[in-house]
Amino acid sequence: MVTLQQLIFKLSEFWASRGCLLQQPLDIEMGAGTMHPETFLRVLGPAHWNVAYVQPSRRPADGRFGENPYRLLKHQQFQVVLKPAPDDVQQLYLQSLEACGIDLRAHDVRFEEDNWESPTLGAWGIGWQVLFDGQEITQFTYFQQAGGIDLSPISVELTYGIERLTMALQDVDDVYEVEWAAGVKYREVRHRDEVEQSKYAFGQVDMPAAEFHALHRDLFDKYYGLAQTLLRSDLVLPALDYCLKCSHMFNLLDASGGIGVTERTAYILRVRQLAIAIAKHWVGEKAET
Amino acid sequence: MDRELLIEIGVEELPASWMPGLTRQLADRLKGRMTEFRIAPMAAVESYCTPRRLTARIAKIAERQEDLEETLSGPPVSAAFDADGKPTPAALGFARKQGVAFEELSRLSTPKGEYLAYHKRQRGKSAVDALPEILGGVLRDLAFPKQMHWDAKLDDGRGELLFGRPIRWLLFLYGGRVVPFTIGRAANAAGPQVLDIESGALTYGHRFLATSGRAGRSIKVRSFEEYQARLSEHFVVLRHEDRRDRIARELESHARRLNGRVHLKEHSTLIDEVADLVEYPGVVAGFYDRGFLTLPQEVLTTTLVHHQHFFPVVTATGELKEAFLAVVNTQPSDERLIAKNAERVVTGRLRDAKFFWESDQKTPLESRLDRLHTLLFHKKLGSYRDKAERLSSLAQWIARDILGSPQDAQHAATAARLAKTDLTTEMVFEFTELQGTIGGIYARQQGQPEQVWKAIYYQYLPVGVEADAPPSREQLGPAATTWAAVSLADKIDTFVSLTKAGERATGSRDPFGLRRQMQGAVRILMDLPQLTGTDKEVWLGPVLARAAEGTTGTTDPWTTELSEAALAFASERVRFALEQRGFGIEVVRAATSARDVSPLRARRIAEAIQGMRGSEDFQALAVLFKRVKNIARERRSPGALDRSAITEAAERALLDELDARRPRIEAAAARSDYRAAFIEIAGLRAAVDRFFTEVFVMADDVRTRDARLTLMADLRDLILDLADISEIIPQTE
Repeated sequence: MVTLQQLIFKLSEFWASRGCLLQQPLDIEMGAGTMHPETFLRVLGPAHWNVAYVQPSRRPADGRFGENPYRLLKHQQFQVVLKPAPDDVQQLYLQSLEACGIDLRAHDVRFEEDNWESPTLGAWGIGWQVLFDGQEITQFTYFQQAGGIDLSPISVELTYGIERLTMALQDVDDVYEVEWAAGVKYREVRHRDEVEQSKYAFGQVDMPAAEFHALHRDLFDKYYGLAQTLLRSDLVLPALDYCLKCSHMFNLLDASGGIGVTERTAYILRVRQLAIAIAKHWVGEKAET
Repeated sequence: MDRELLIEIGVEELPASWMPGLTRQLADRLKGRMTEFRIAPMAAVESYCTPRRLTARIAKIAERQEDLEETLSGPPVSAAFDADGKPTPAALGFARKQGVAFEELSRLSTPKGEYLAYHKRQRGKSAVDALPEILGGVLRDLAFPKQMHWDAKLDDGRGELLFGRPIRWLLFLYGGRVVPFTIGRAANAAGPQVLDIESGALTYGHRFLATSGRAGRSIKVRSFEEYQARLSEHFVVLRHEDRRDRIARELESHARRLNGRVHLKEHSTLIDEVADLVEYPGVVAGFYDRGFLTLPQEVLTTTLVHHQHFFPVVTATGELKEAFLAVVNTQPSDERLIAKNAERVVTGRLRDAKFFWESDQKTPLESRLDRLHTLLFHKKLGSYRDKAERLSSLAQWIARDILGSPQDAQHAATAARLAKTDLTTEMVFEFTELQGTIGGIYARQQGQPEQVWKAIYYQYLPVGVEADAPPSREQLGPAATTWAAVSLADKIDTFVSLTKAGERATGSRDPFGLRRQMQGAVRILMDLPQLTGTDKEVWLGPVLARAAEGTTGTTDPWTTELSEAALAFASERVRFALEQRGFGIEVVRAATSARDVSPLRARRIAEAIQGMRGSEDFQALAVLFKRVKNIARERRSPGALDRSAITEAAERALLDELDARRPRIEAAAARSDYRAAFIEIAGLRAAVDRFFTEVFVMADDVRTRDARLTLMADLRDLILDLADISEIIPQTE
């Protein structure tokens, strides 16, 4: 039986042996490993770069109070970025599954069209979801654009869903039954976090809803202003940190019903403008925010 | 095989939805490029596609390009020599441009005089030398719904090569030998892991399956015969049809083992799709908890079919069983190993669906109306709440005044008001393709009568997200009229309000799907009697105008220009619909000459014209009608016919015929018996023929001339009111 932490070891080992630098998660809330500077910024510009890391990813709207056996507010992504995308990247990817103990001949592993797009990052790519017996275990994307900038050379991003993959490997139907380490269940490690984070995300706090929303809007605006200031000071990485903070505040507002549909679009647009300005600064083009 | 051309473009997995189009394109583009490069295919151009390969084969092609011979003309001979008889600079310039000495030029006689000329003869290259350019052209020609950068380029002066997915190998054989071809890589990507792609004699089998050795090794082939044989040994079924048949067979046998059935016909699109997701299809059976069978059938089916590409298994009587069949890209030795994982996904999705189902029910549709305020329909038109109000009023009016069914008006209004409320449900948020359907189901659960819930349920048809057919009479039952009213109102409102907001469909750009909306409206009206039992030839003009009254605010007024443009747009959709039903273009043109648009009337007239085409009198009259139209255009005074000025026998005879037949034609048209009307019209042929033989219309006497022109105009209007029958004459006349 492959435990969750063994899976992380095996993937880390596999990709390190294929020339990837092992990075660490960014210590800031984010919705996906793509927003980590090791992906979002490194795919820009001409420099070659191969990197792998785990990124805990928070999606407040996916919170289910620890009651849904498949859905989590916070899950872990194992993220691999290869720049440029090697010719044999699909084979490499499949070998990484074998390294995790998957017998490719006994299962049905398929690459089905699923193009990825992040409106808030001004980024999109062409690719697939990798289906393992019908379950999505990886998002496989050839990045075409990030921060509104056309990419050259092209990077490939592999995002493994650690929980999904472990569930399949351990043949369990409930994420909380996953063995994180021998004798330690996912429930022990994470359940309380899921319950409490869900309550927070859906505004079940000792504060009227209007106030709760106003507070987060205010935080959004403050983080936004700070990010702009940092960017004007040419501090691109701190600016990205606060851009991510904005994105998280937006996700919380969205989950707790704090914004209407039209307003929603406006928020997305603001974060996107910030992300684009950050990307431009990174590659050396100054842009107004 | 000595002159066989075989090309296989090895790619990373192509989207299934592209494959039918790409298969056709590959054959077309290859044929096109072969013709351009003067190498004749001497056998059919065959093309095949699996997710990982695009293959083309021509059993025999010409050995060489045809020689190219052409004569290029230069300056006139008169300007080619100076006074001394020496070539002028113009003449020498022409020779230089062709790259030959002046002496090699010849002369060319034309009606305009004699010119200097160069007879150019270019010997064709051997096929193997011309083929690389042909393949390069084909790679450039293939069009993908979305293309990608993958750091590739061609050495054809055009630089980067975009493609649908990265190309990983090229099998390129002519007469069993490799034709050299290279796809280069971008300088800033090239390196040991990013290499040029060189053509070769190699292909690859299934990713994971192999009878011996490691899967995925390269396989050498020399001919198509060998290629097919090797692929089949290496677990690749090359032909779509073969994959499809195999899937259908396996689905049936698996369903039988479960004492059930699979609706092969109903899921025909899904079978085609899954056949393009795999190279070596197999089927496994999975199960889910019986408890989920309490969910509406539509939700279960959507989860299985649209989200997972799985096939629901039904009992002999058509009820869903708690089982599904999944098509996989392998022939598994242990089905359960795969099935268990597939079941986990299905169960997860069904649990979500059940959660949404239960949570959505807590807020009835009526109380969701206010939430529509937050859903923007269009910035100039407001929210879906505003749309719901417009829709309700329009649907009510259509039911009462257009479809003549006052007893349905209130139900139509209610259905229309609630029609969009399901956009606020969690179920639609998660399963977008269930919009409408789920609203209908919730309305049913909440006690709305059949007339209401079915109108909501089927509101998007006949142009839904998935289905592209109207509901049947049987499905609609007593809701036929309310459905037609709501569905029509929705489409017309969307079209008219967006038009007033300045949105247009232009060329291939139609971001709001206006064409589709109008298409839907036209299809409902065209088949109104069959769909609803209401036999009414509805004119669109007044319906559009009524819909326009409903939109206020910052939109443009419904001017005559807008209205006419809208009717022209609708007429275009009617023509498209009629052509789709197999009517010839001339019949379609003839039947859609009216200024206002009535799809049903146009259809019936087209049918009647179709039926009259065997009539010699009708054909002859159609020819004469062109003359009638032309001459009637000369008419200057618009007054009524001055009967006393009609004196000659032939014109008298025509007037008598007209007087006798007009009431019969009008009566037939009034009861929509257009065939009878056209038979009456065909009966005019002899009189019109005689008129043109014996009567000189453009008489000097003004009164006589005016009367004759008015007679022609009356005849024209009588016929034109039904159809412009001159259109059915072949255009060569």
